Amino acid sequence: MIWEQLAGNLTQGLILGGVYGMATMGLSLIFGVLRVVNVGHGPFIMVGAFITLWIFTTLKLSPVIAIPVAFIMGMALGFIFFYSAMRRLIKAPELATLLATFSIGVLLEETAKLIFGSDFQGYNWVVGKIILPVTVLPMSKLYALIGSVVIAIFLYVWFNKTRAGTAVRSVVEDSEGARVCGINVGWVYAFSFAIGIGLTVASGVLLTMFIPVGINPYMGGGYTLKAFVIAVLGGLTSPYGAFFGGLIFGLIENGSYTLFALMPGVEPFALTRFLSFFILLLILLIKPTGLLGGK
Amino acid sequence: MRNKLIIGIICFLVALGFILAINAQTAPKVPAKVIIGDVACLSGTYAKAGEQAFGGIKAIVKWVNEVHGGVKIGGKKVPLGHKYYDSESKKEVVTSLVERLITVDKVNCVLAPYSSGLTLAGAPIAEKYGMLYMDHGGASDRIFQQGYKYIVQTIGPGSRYHVGTLDMIHKIDPTAKRIALAYEDDEFARMVMMGAEKHAEKLGFKIVFKRTYPKKVTDLTPLLSDLKAAKPDIVLGGGHYEDGQLFGRQMGDLDINVKSLSLVASATLPAYYPALGTLAEGVMGPSHWEYGVTYSPEAAKKIGLEWIGPTQDEFVKLFKAALGKDIIPDYHAAEAGAAVLAYVLGIEKANSIEPAKVRAALDKLKFMSFYGAWDIDETGLQIGHSMIDMQWQGGKRVIIWPPEAATGKLYYPMPTIAEKAKGKLAVPK
Repeated sequence: MIWEQLAGNLTQGLILGGVYGMATMGLSLIFGVLRVVNVGHGPFIMVGAFITLWIFTTLKLSPVIAIPVAFIMGMALGFIFFYSAMRRLIKAPELATLLATFSIGVLLEETAKLIFGSDFQGYNWVVGKIILPVTVLPMSKLYALIGSVVIAIFLYVWFNKTRAGTAVRSVVEDSEGARVCGINVGWVYAFSFAIGIGLTVASGVLLTMFIPVGINPYMGGGYTLKAFVIAVLGGLTSPYGAFFGGLIFGLIENGSYTLFALMPGVEPFALTRFLSFFILLLILLIKPTGLLGGK
Repeated sequence: MRNKLIIGIICFLVALGFILAINAQTAPKVPAKVIIGDVACLSGTYAKAGEQAFGGIKAIVKWVNEVHGGVKIGGKKVPLGHKYYDSESKKEVVTSLVERLITVDKVNCVLAPYSSGLTLAGAPIAEKYGMLYMDHGGASDRIFQQGYKYIVQTIGPGSRYHVGTLDMIHKIDPTAKRIALAYEDDEFARMVMMGAEKHAEKLGFKIVFKRTYPKKVTDLTPLLSDLKAAKPDIVLGGGHYEDGQLFGRQMGDLDINVKSLSLVASATLPAYYPALGTLAEGVMGPSHWEYGVTYSPEAAKKIGLEWIGPTQDEFVKLFKAALGKDIIPDYHAAEAGAAVLAYVLGIEKANSIEPAKVRAALDKLKFMSFYGAWDIDETGLQIGHSMIDMQWQGGKRVIIWPPEAATGKLYYPMPTIAEKAKGKLAVPK
């Protein structure tokens, strides 16, 4: 019985972890290239969630269509915020970029509230279920996982196999060296920031495919916190490392819940959070670059 | 003769001065305006309920000034003012705003913010200044177990939220014995479920599952998988809005079929149905007030209670005008408006704006408004107001309990998840 529950929860955790990973890739990419910690990460996820809601309820289209739309709109937002604010702050003290990204987050939240109101909204996309011996999986969750894996593969290929990806990696390694070699470092910064934001906004679509309710202007906060843990887990500067970090996080979160529930008088959810942050602390102490990160 | 006249005039003046002095001491101090301070939640986590409460307060302030003619003190009618700040739904902001309203804005009473946690955060500050603190959105009983003298509740206490739900199921289906409690780890939900557990045990139900989940939870799958394994007949859960939608949705994802599901706070909101579609069919929720209840001046007269305030339809009209939106108010608006009415009646009964005197008058006050009956015990806890239960039936909220307030019948047991997916509605034949 307990093994069945554990297997069921691990299956659910693996799928959720894939989506969490996708939701963290943008954060890692921006930190890796620009050395900017985007504390306004969660509100960009919220933007993706509202794009999905709008596409599904107003345009009556599948949430799958929302993935490329959100990515493109996210990139556009990335370019706007980069050229209006971030460009001037790249060489500024860390506190300035922290405050700037925090402000961008608040700006997005309040703009969303102005446009969509403060209701907790949701949509009902019914595409069937798979009944496994240990759990029930709605197809929408599976589509979310498949979407995450496909995007992670695309990013990996782009990062490692294309000229643009090589240019980004060279800027990560040594921005001055890259400039001497003729790479337009400013453009790489802008493009990386835009892709990072595009990925984050697109992850909002995938998250709502997993959980299509509770969409509201302030929904991003919880995901920001998780994204930081996952980013450290997967390697702060590695976007695809973040994807695997997400998978590990999902498995730890759901698997440990079942085990903690066996302890009498204990609230398992409280302990799963404790465990997540304990692991974060441990990794920072032992390997500050993250489990899957390099130098 | 002349001396006698002078002595007489002096005596008369002394007597006059004495009378005037006594009058000055006993006559009520009539202010130019009575100002209620409002720590509103217009942004942040509780923005939705906060907006409703804000609309309810504005609606009643307008009614008091334009229909009631103001607040009656010392034979005069004084206008009612409304000074508010946005607390951003944050505890640290609440404490500083309560202090600011009292010390800088010099308000005559403070309306607490929405939610038990935020109400508790502001209570010690109001108490420090001996300021009347009108609680309209903090349901936890614990607020009234701290020994505060100046806090007065209008919303019903959390421990009674599920009393009606359990009474109803106990009456309709005595074979449904297995109850699961799964709720947000928060002051309000804890109190609601403690009350539910106590009442369930009294009625002979068996608690087969009891777990909490943290605020801002993003996935309830592991908890709900364990809940499914416990095979409950009835699930009582929730806490606030976001988690309630998640709860209903993920019960559907995991095919958890129960005879009855009641979720606090979220299920009663209009946004619940559009978010979940037919998955919301048959889901119940305890509420303090719903549009359609039948409280009226005639009903008040029948049970010997004083009536104050607009009728239900007048309130709805004032509420829409206050917010500039064509939306029906929910119970957050109604209870906030009723708190203002209680304060106005308190002043009029006390014939004073002094918080201690108004508090003493509120102790003895019993009345009815569009919100229902109002009465408090010596701690300030609301004991006069009855909860109602609603159920989603065919996309509409129907009041199903208590029988005297019901606008429809309970659909029981609720449709299964598979039936709902096929479009089955929980509409009784």
